[in-house]
Amino acid sequence: MKFLHYIIRNALRSPVRSLLTIGSTTMCLALMMMLLSFLSVNDSVATSLRTYNRLIVMSSQGFTQPVPYARVGEIASMKGVKGTSTFSWFGGKYNEEPMPFAQFGVSADKIFTLYDEFNVPPDQVKAFAEDKTGCAIGRKLAEERKLKVGDSVPLKGDAYPLDLTLTIRAIYDGPATRDLRMCFFHWDYLNEELKKVAPNSKMLDNAGVVIVKCESADQMATLTKGIDNQYVNSDTPTRTQSEEAFNRLFTEMFGDLRGMIQNIGLAVVFSLIFVAGNAMAMALRERTTEVAVLKAMGFGRGLVINLIITEAILVTLVGGILGAIGSKFFFDLVDLSKYTAGFLPFFFVPWSTALLGVGASLLIGFLSGIFPAIRAAQLSVVNGLRKVV
Amino acid sequence: MGKPHSIVLQNVNKEYRRDEFVIPVLSDLDLVVDEGEYLALMGPSGSGKTTLLNLIAGLDRATSGAVIVHGQDLGTMSEGQVTRWRADNVGFIFQLYNLIPVLTAFENVELPLLLTHLSKKHRRENVMTALRAVGLDGREDHYPRQLSGGQEQRVAIARAVVTDPYLLVADEPTGDLDRKSAEEILSLLQQLNTEFGKTIVMVTHDPQAAQRASRILHLDKGKLVRDEQQISFPVGVAS
Repeated sequence: MKFLHYIIRNALRSPVRSLLTIGSTTMCLALMMMLLSFLSVNDSVATSLRTYNRLIVMSSQGFTQPVPYARVGEIASMKGVKGTSTFSWFGGKYNEEPMPFAQFGVSADKIFTLYDEFNVPPDQVKAFAEDKTGCAIGRKLAEERKLKVGDSVPLKGDAYPLDLTLTIRAIYDGPATRDLRMCFFHWDYLNEELKKVAPNSKMLDNAGVVIVKCESADQMATLTKGIDNQYVNSDTPTRTQSEEAFNRLFTEMFGDLRGMIQNIGLAVVFSLIFVAGNAMAMALRERTTEVAVLKAMGFGRGLVINLIITEAILVTLVGGILGAIGSKFFFDLVDLSKYTAGFLPFFFVPWSTALLGVGASLLIGFLSGIFPAIRAAQLSVVNGLRKVV
Repeated sequence: MGKPHSIVLQNVNKEYRRDEFVIPVLSDLDLVVDEGEYLALMGPSGSGKTTLLNLIAGLDRATSGAVIVHGQDLGTMSEGQVTRWRADNVGFIFQLYNLIPVLTAFENVELPLLLTHLSKKHRRENVMTALRAVGLDGREDHYPRQLSGGQEQRVAIARAVVTDPYLLVADEPTGDLDRKSAEEILSLLQQLNTEFGKTIVMVTHDPQAAQRASRILHLDKGKLVRDEQQISFPVGVAS
């Protein structure tokens, strides 16, 4: 501690250089926090879905391929199934916004039985089910767009060759881990309108995927196998999986996203080691004589190494705290999820990830300081002093 | 009975290796310096003055021969032991002062004390005593850039003496100062020698500076060519 003021003064000796090092550490760690938090948020969403006993039935060729609407009724009649619904992604533009929020054509009379974690006033559930052009939207979407029951939601078709004009009949709320920015509307309405404008479309009578609510968790494994076995020899074989697995699959369609993000994180750490190490090496080159003077006065090698490494750690730690803890607080205030069109229902930087970032900054500081420190410690006093004496 | 020996050099040789070349710097040097002596090392550039000073201060090792300072044979000590020995026994004064620019005068003087187990209070007392001794009390919060060259060198001297070392080594301590400041620094060194009994070894090119020492050694091509004993002047007389 008695050397702390000396270390701090040295760290502040070249304010521009230190600020640039701190700035690059801050920016890189903030980026790393975003990427790592994306993974952890995705994990917590997937994990939270375990408790709802839902299965997703999609085409065995992938979720972009159609699943015949008939499957919805067939699966609903299977033993252990509490209910089923279509879940067809519409992907329309709202006020010319290309990715405004997720919109799904669903079985309006069933959807809130299947998604029983959502809270909707019963009269609104009834009003939504009875109005074919009605829709139910999430609370966050309503708040952000200042929408209320009775408002119109015009959607311009993008994937579908038609436009829909919906009327808000219900606003749902639910746990923080669930997407509160979705828009559910009647699948029947979508299918009927599609028949009018494109009677030969392969999207006709396509359920999208089928959401299956099981009566209990015990039946999920049996149903998963049973559903797929039933359609294995049909024209449209299915692939059934838990909602959690489906969610992970959705992320994995980007390839090995986890591995990619982890590699980016490592690349960031290594880049920062080089940046901070270069700054530290430059700082010490300028201080060669001073290091020699300290050693002449009796500062041992170990102490010299400690002083330099602590200085390097101090600089990167400031950057680490600003980048990691700063982004934690920043994303607590700014909800990034609203810009992800439903891909992420929420976004925050968990404390564990933020602390990992601070830990990374400590490691970066140590590794950036160790080589210049060893070099300084090995410096011959006579050679160091010769520079000026 | 004479004074005990402070520095003893026995048959000291020092050579540097530069690639395949061996460059002899000091050859067969024998020297005895008594405790409390004020020794000036003179000679042309390349004569081995600074090398000799470095050997005596424990900054460098002799190629052969023995360097015994304050009863310690420096050649037998490990790197770490010599470093600790320097912290306890040697104060350094450099031509360009070599103060740490980001530290105040007080903090610069305090640096060697950070290696001791003294409390903050005792460190403060020692630093203020040293700064008073060099006439810089009241300037303790000034940074080196806020001091004149002479004042910077005084701070460097305060830093050198704050741990009360046995030996002071000075390499051209007045080489970067104007005559007036140089005289002040030389008087201060003389005072440290006469009043506090410090053994001082000073490298200088300046004959006037050397005149302040009690003994002048002339080196040439790594050999001792002349050894002059001076008449001791009371402080201030020579100036």
